[in-house]
Amino acid sequence: MVTALLLVLGFFAGLLGAITGIGGGVLLTPILALHFGVPIRQAIGTSLVAVITTSAASSSVHLQRHTTDIRLGMTLELATALGAAVMAYLVGYFNRNALEELFAGFLLYSAITILTKGSKGEPVGDESSPGSHEISIPPYEPKRYPLGLAASLVAGALSGLLGIGGGPIKVPVMYIFMKVPLMVATATSNFMIGVTAAASAIVYYRRGDILVQYAAPLAVGVFVGSLLGARMAPRINTKVVVYLLVAVMFYLAGHLILHLLRGWV
Amino acid sequence: MSQVREPAFDRAVALVLHIGAFSCFFVMLAGLIDGLFVSGHIPLEIERVGVLLMLATPVVRVIVACFLFFWEKDWKYGWISLGVLIILLLGSVFGIGEH
Repeated sequence: MVTALLLVLGFFAGLLGAITGIGGGVLLTPILALHFGVPIRQAIGTSLVAVITTSAASSSVHLQRHTTDIRLGMTLELATALGAAVMAYLVGYFNRNALEELFAGFLLYSAITILTKGSKGEPVGDESSPGSHEISIPPYEPKRYPLGLAASLVAGALSGLLGIGGGPIKVPVMYIFMKVPLMVATATSNFMIGVTAAASAIVYYRRGDILVQYAAPLAVGVFVGSLLGARMAPRINTKVVVYLLVAVMFYLAGHLILHLLRGWV
Repeated sequence: MSQVREPAFDRAVALVLHIGAFSCFFVMLAGLIDGLFVSGHIPLEIERVGVLLMLATPVVRVIVACFLFFWEKDWKYGWISLGVLIILLLGSVFGIGEH
């Protein structure tokens, strides 16, 4: 029964992720913690497997279209992988409440950011839809590498801390500060997410913080959901889905805060 | 693009990710289906293989990119890829003995 629920959860997380461009980790971690009773650290580790699955499935499509800047991605991966691995190690010393507080804060911040950007018609996440048509890319030269590396270090640390991809940091930095075209920035961010998540997931796995019996059905569901979502994305009203996603994020953040308050009383 | 675009390079890396993602999916699915009919540790071990394959996929992707950069005598990015690979491998050392 639990396996079937996890398959369905993974499927919808993958579907929403592919349609809105938000990785599944941001939804999976709190749902695993709140509704499946998984300790938050194991929930983070387990959702990282789903994040890698989404990245591997979608970035292969971006690569085939040659929209990924592999050299830029590899350079920034030096920082994201380092940040993710070190933070994943340090998470072992964090207590459960601190992690839940951080996650609730991150959910609220993400929901508000998506709502603000969504209302302006801007892209909300880190994954351009693999189902969308090919666009010609103008010539460009990435600038401000030190800033890009510093931001990538922070994105990697957040990934290791919260089990997310870190795209909402990487994409704006590449696009706004490094002057990389948006389509290349989203594809390159997606490409980097797999290695970033793997850097921390390896540490989580070695520590016993990835629950295989939860990770496998989630990854299978996410894989199918993200493939379907990528095909549906160009044909459906993304705005409605974005509002749905934001509602779920507010609900999960509120639930986490209530959970914390109950612990204090 | 800022760099010379090399479709063959992109295709090789994409192939690694494609094979990795699909093989993990099928192995995990096999574990889940096996769990419906067989009790005990075997289904869980099959799922574990799928999860480990998934964790290994980005590592293999970095190894392939590293090899291709050195093959093309693109030393700068070859060394950068090697640096990423070392960080990934150090990750497994970080976690040792913390169960």
